Amino acid sequence: MTDRQAVFYTASELTARGKDQIPSELISGEHLIYNSPASLLFNSPGAEGYGVKRAGLSVPDSVMLLVAPGCCGRNTSLISAMPEYHNRFFYLMMDETDLVTGRHLKKIPEAISEICDFLPEKPAAVMICITCVDALLGTDMERVCRKAEAECGVRVRPCYMYALTREGRKPPMVHVRQSIYSMLEPRKRDPRAVNLLGFFAGLREDSELYTLLGEAGVRTIREIGKCPDFDSYLRMSEANFNLILHPEARFAAEDMEKRLGIPWVELTRLYQIDKIHSQYAAFGAAIGAELDDGAYFAEAEREIRRFRKDFGPLTIAVGETLNADPFELSLALLRAGFQVGEIYAAPAPEQYVYLRKIAAISPETRIYSNLEPTMLYYGEGRIPADLTVGKDASYYQPDAPNVPWNSDVQPFGYRGVTALFRALRSAYAGKETT
Amino acid sequence: MKGLRKYLTPFAPDQSGAASVLYDLGGILVICDAGGCAGNICGFDEPRWSTQRSAVFSAGLRDMDAILGRDDRLVEKLAAAAERIDANFAAIIGTPVPAVIGTDFQALGRMAKRKTGLPILSLPCYGMKLSDAGEEMAYDALFRTLAEDTTEADPGRIGVLGAATLELGDLSEAEEIREALTAEGWETVSLYGMGASFREVRTAGLAAKNLVIAPSGLKAAKYLAERFGTPYEVRYPVEDPRLEALDLTGKRVLAVHQQVRANSLREQLRMHGAETVRTASWFRMDDSLSEPGDVHLAEEDAFMDLVREGEFDVILADDTLRPMCPDFRGLWLSLPHFAVSGKQVVV
Repeated sequence: MTDRQAVFYTASELTARGKDQIPSELISGEHLIYNSPASLLFNSPGAEGYGVKRAGLSVPDSVMLLVAPGCCGRNTSLISAMPEYHNRFFYLMMDETDLVTGRHLKKIPEAISEICDFLPEKPAAVMICITCVDALLGTDMERVCRKAEAECGVRVRPCYMYALTREGRKPPMVHVRQSIYSMLEPRKRDPRAVNLLGFFAGLREDSELYTLLGEAGVRTIREIGKCPDFDSYLRMSEANFNLILHPEARFAAEDMEKRLGIPWVELTRLYQIDKIHSQYAAFGAAIGAELDDGAYFAEAEREIRRFRKDFGPLTIAVGETLNADPFELSLALLRAGFQVGEIYAAPAPEQYVYLRKIAAISPETRIYSNLEPTMLYYGEGRIPADLTVGKDASYYQPDAPNVPWNSDVQPFGYRGVTALFRALRSAYAGKETT
Repeated sequence: MKGLRKYLTPFAPDQSGAASVLYDLGGILVICDAGGCAGNICGFDEPRWSTQRSAVFSAGLRDMDAILGRDDRLVEKLAAAAERIDANFAAIIGTPVPAVIGTDFQALGRMAKRKTGLPILSLPCYGMKLSDAGEEMAYDALFRTLAEDTTEADPGRIGVLGAATLELGDLSEAEEIREALTAEGWETVSLYGMGASFREVRTAGLAAKNLVIAPSGLKAAKYLAERFGTPYEVRYPVEDPRLEALDLTGKRVLAVHQQVRANSLREQLRMHGAETVRTASWFRMDDSLSEPGDVHLAEEDAFMDLVREGEFDVILADDTLRPMCPDFRGLWLSLPHFAVSGKQVVV
């Protein structure tokens, strides 16, 4: 037995220190990184959801060749077992000699040819996934891919799974978003077409964004995860503008603007409905349309009020393995009249805009980092939650009903809020509601 | 093509094997990586991870740490963690990143020992070998570093080497091994890497005998024999109950697993009338334990050729190999091997 406890800071303590004085326990680069089921998303992004490997394969009709030490591909069998990834992952395993001589790069064309012969149909593209080893070797993968493309007669593109650069200027999930759109070529633009960038599996079909864009005159909305084949993917270059829904897609959008002349606008996923309204108003003004979001606003507001009225000011714990900014979501919950006892996420400086408001409403809300070593001892003295949101939060408070809120298909806007509160109701009431 | 996998995902790597041996001994395990390797070790190769907390950490290396070789920074992080974590020892386990930059694990271990005061196991794994290599390295370092000198022996105690989770089909098999040895009359069964306590490791020299159930335990068994005079035996102590009901007279059989398990199956298969039994393994095969015709597998094509040309009536192997035998019409008996198939669901 031990009397050790997990380190946390309250919201008021953090805001008093300010965003320039974030405690070292909440900065991942300052300590060893704890490996618990709650930190799996950080340590092994591909194990669940979309890591570089699955993201690279969001290009329709593509396959992936992972060129790396065997250990880098070990967890992929979980993904390979999913029907949509059957015959889409292949591995060229590096050995010690490859590491010294770099000869693995010369084997890539032969491997691609063998894969093409093996498959019943030639793939539209081969995504080459390389890892930390080639980052350190300084491999020019663009050149290697061009050479392989010329030799094999199939599109070949790199995907950089460089975990070493995850906190750099262009981390892997930013890079891969650029890679997946890199095969688009200039086409005649369609003024009524828009691309949604940022997510790999696309938005929930009930998102009001589709309707609002339609009312603004948009006739075609394309998302890579919803392109049925490679030809429809290529038509993404017809878009009048790109709408970024995840900040990690900014680099891809800038690249598309440079190469294809497609401008971009960015929207943030929010759970505070007044802020969603403000954002739509600003977006409408930017594209010269008035977006009538009143009905969606009212629906979301009704769902929040109903949940609050039926169940009272529940104490909710919020994790970071979920489709939301954990601090913005926590603020939304607090503003809606709930308690947020604990947040399992380390704040970045840009999240202090939310943290300051959290501290004003709920100064004692505790902030833990999933990654901090003392999370090994989390448990004693915790604030019990009535309900948890985020898959990681259920690890810490296993007795509370949980809404993982981490599906591949993404919630967005008011309908995301409505769906979340319906999921919370369902989890808390222990039954499906209509 | 050599090195190309079209059917199989890569097997558990050496760093997973090393971590598996040390997982439940109460140490701080530092995976010297950028995050992904530690995530794979726990999220995929360690079945105890979702139910049993352990101090497994990623070093969280970043590009400049690797480029500048900032070992001192890693030691500082380890020392800071050691102040806040109760630990018996610490292990620093390598991955491809330190392999590329040529990290001196011995020096790293010495620095860490000075700074933390803990016994340190330095395990230069590099992700291109298989789990058995990491297990072997961890077992060897464990006893060399932590076993206490003794001249006594406990006649009722047997040590089991090679019982790492990755060498088994699932966790329940560890209990089967324990029960089988208890039924043989052993009062204390120390399954190193799978339930034996830190104290049992410290007193490993007391065991009257060591049983090697996978080739990864062989080197440590030889070391313990040399240091403490402990005799060892190589066999897998649990029989496969499914074979009891089969008439294998005149049958040609292939058993694919780690070598010791496959060899013990061979004995059982022969007792049930099998005409020929060949064993094969993707993992290390010790010459002293092999028979003519046994096959070490490295490539998918080699396995497919073996099945095609062997004309087997019965195959015992992990089910993940099944898709490579589309024309096999005999009896396929599932023989799970965690280092091959790994976890089938996350957490």
